[in-house]
Amino acid sequence: MSTAAYLIGLGIASAAALLGAVLPARRRLLGAAVLSSAACLAALAGAGDVLVSGHAFSLHTAQVLPLTGVDLSLDPLGAIFVVTTAVVGLAVSCYSVGYGAHQTPSRTATAMLPAFLTTLLLVPAAASLATFMVAWELMALASLLALLTEHRRRRETRDAAQWYAVMTHIGAAAILLGLVLLAAHAGGQSFAAIAAHRRHLSVPLASVVFLLTLFGFASKAGAVPLHVWLPRAHPEAPSPVSALMSGAMVNLGIYGILRVGEDLLGGGELWWWLVVAALGVVSAVFGALHAAASTDTKRLLAYSTVDNIGLVLIGVGAAGALAAGGEQALAGLVLLAALFHLVNHALFKGCLFLGAGAVQHAAGTRDLDRLGGIARKMPATAVLFGIGALSISALPGLNGFASEWLLLEGLLHGFASHSAVTEAALLAGVATLAITGGLTATAFVKALGVGFLGQPRSEGAGDAREVGPSMLAGMGLLAGGCVVLGVVPGVVLPALDRATTAGLAAGAPRAVLPGLGLALASVRGAIDPALLVGGLLVGIVVIWGALRLVPRSADLRSPRRAAAWGCGRELQTARMEITATSFAEPLQRVFADVLRPDHDLEVTHTAESRYFPEAISFHQRVDDAIERVVYRPVMAAVTWWGRLARRVPNGSVHRYLAFGFAALVLVLVVLA
Amino acid sequence: MQLRHVDAGSCNGCEIEIAQAFAPVSDAGRFGARLVASPRHADGLLVTGVVTKNMAVPLQMTFEATPRPRVVVACGDCAVSGGVFAGAYGVVGSVRDVLPVDVEIPGCPPEPSEITEALRRLTGR
Repeated sequence: MSTAAYLIGLGIASAAALLGAVLPARRRLLGAAVLSSAACLAALAGAGDVLVSGHAFSLHTAQVLPLTGVDLSLDPLGAIFVVTTAVVGLAVSCYSVGYGAHQTPSRTATAMLPAFLTTLLLVPAAASLATFMVAWELMALASLLALLTEHRRRRETRDAAQWYAVMTHIGAAAILLGLVLLAAHAGGQSFAAIAAHRRHLSVPLASVVFLLTLFGFASKAGAVPLHVWLPRAHPEAPSPVSALMSGAMVNLGIYGILRVGEDLLGGGELWWWLVVAALGVVSAVFGALHAAASTDTKRLLAYSTVDNIGLVLIGVGAAGALAAGGEQALAGLVLLAALFHLVNHALFKGCLFLGAGAVQHAAGTRDLDRLGGIARKMPATAVLFGIGALSISALPGLNGFASEWLLLEGLLHGFASHSAVTEAALLAGVATLAITGGLTATAFVKALGVGFLGQPRSEGAGDAREVGPSMLAGMGLLAGGCVVLGVVPGVVLPALDRATTAGLAAGAPRAVLPGLGLALASVRGAIDPALLVGGLLVGIVVIWGALRLVPRSADLRSPRRAAAWGCGRELQTARMEITATSFAEPLQRVFADVLRPDHDLEVTHTAESRYFPEAISFHQRVDDAIERVVYRPVMAAVTWWGRLARRVPNGSVHRYLAFGFAALVLVLVVLA
Repeated sequence: MQLRHVDAGSCNGCEIEIAQAFAPVSDAGRFGARLVASPRHADGLLVTGVVTKNMAVPLQMTFEATPRPRVVVACGDCAVSGGVFAGAYGVVGSVRDVLPVDVEIPGCPPEPSEITEALRRLTGR
């Protein structure tokens, strides 16, 4: 049943892409959205069945791809990624109806979103090298086209697309190289054959394969220093595409690392996973810092994705290291926490991206310094964005808290392991979790406080109107997921447990006890968010009731309405409000060594005296330091090399003939 | 007793004396008086200076923002009666012309000990 449902899902999603391209303009949007929602539901049913029953399915067909055919197989590890993608995809499909309705949607836009969704659903089920690489490349191309559908004539969008294309293809090349190397030595290209042969691989070869594929998957996941495409592509992509990229596509980078490292290579060496954990630490801190300093809503969210993927990488790295040290129970717990955080991240980041898109849609800007007062104009959007922001800040009762609690428990219990190096990595992970928790809260206090509260700072923000029901339903689905997984996380833990067992080469015992709350099986530790939230609600009701019952003086009985205290100012304009830039300024000053902000202060003096300025202009940019230090020199070198090479073909036929002759001589010399 | 200090148009003579009243020699703080940064946190206002036209509305807004029950202390001759600025241009009047005053501290400026004594009558210590 699961096979059929999953395949039907893939089929409907492809049909949605086709219909999006061929239907007449008025029907296009709705037709594609309805079909892709149906596709997501079918895929959800198929993958959900795999997760609940624990039985993987696989099928092979010699059709479709020449020479190799197509191998599909869905085990619980892949299924958890399909389920996550399907949930985010369902919300995005629903949302896209309202998002595209204000103008006639282009064929590319309505066709590429379902196409992107199809490839996202396909990748975790690919079970051979050829199928995987084809699906991976289709995903890269579909996402690239989907990114370009809105404002494709803008310079920033083209820039972002170029960065994304280059980064993702360098990554794909590395993955292809690694997997081909692996297949050549493992005697087969299907994943099952490679996994069966993993004991016969030499350690240096396995290490090379792991590092190559890690490079490729980390570039897709957006780990520092391969994250540079994220803060460019996410803001420029249409919001449904950003939500899919951040909620579903970056996850597949993590999937790849687990599939190759644990399943195909069998866990491997301890140091592999320490490298993964180190990538996670750097990504989490760097992403959180930049998120706290960003003033563009979607750029902030993109950096926050780098931060959260960093946390997941810490979990994956720690789990791999513990498993390599023989601590299966602890490894299972940490990997479960990492996967749970991945699922939660997809929910809240999807919700936040859709919310940011709704605000951009209504106010015409995503610059926090020009927003403000949105909560009064768009109350429902504000509440849903708020749920996402509270979840990502890991407040108890919401899903971010549940997974970060699990991750922290796992890392802390990991200190019982017998390897000093692993313990040092776990310690770094705990410290990272602490600092990114604070920085994330800062970033989202800024996003919520500056963007949604106060007075509107621009005409667009003042004229914002609440978005339509389909967009709210899309956000509401994800926000509802955040609340449900936050209050009763126990409902998904058995499924995650199966995925964890499938994700570790040596398997793992149950990490959590059955129940609605979080109770660890292998070590002591339990928390029940439902009790926490219930207690909080009861407390609020009791205090409220007590205040109603207690008699009060006549002066207090009639409530008095007064304006908010504004320091006695008679005039309060939007220009007096704190902006995102000023909110982030102290933090930016503290971390100036990492963030390297660019200041540009220009003072024009009056003609009479230097002491009286006529005009002052101040510009500030926080560019990505890694982009400046690592990428710019490489790009400059490549450009220089290209200029140099341009001198070689100068149009002279004689010279070309000479090249041909020289090449022939060289070939003859080599062959002789 | 938490007090929010409002300068309604003072020459800053009273401010210097108030600072001295809370400095180690008099130390009004040990009798339970405190200066706070917002009327929302205050039990009353400590107003200095004659009430100028520019400060009349902000003074009233500050009073409105103070939770009830609240006291108003007029500190210095200008706040009590207008002092040397009574009837001058740009002046609305003494604090009593704008707000109900509960305690008056005469003097130009009042000495720290006098300010402390008046505050002790409020705190009852």
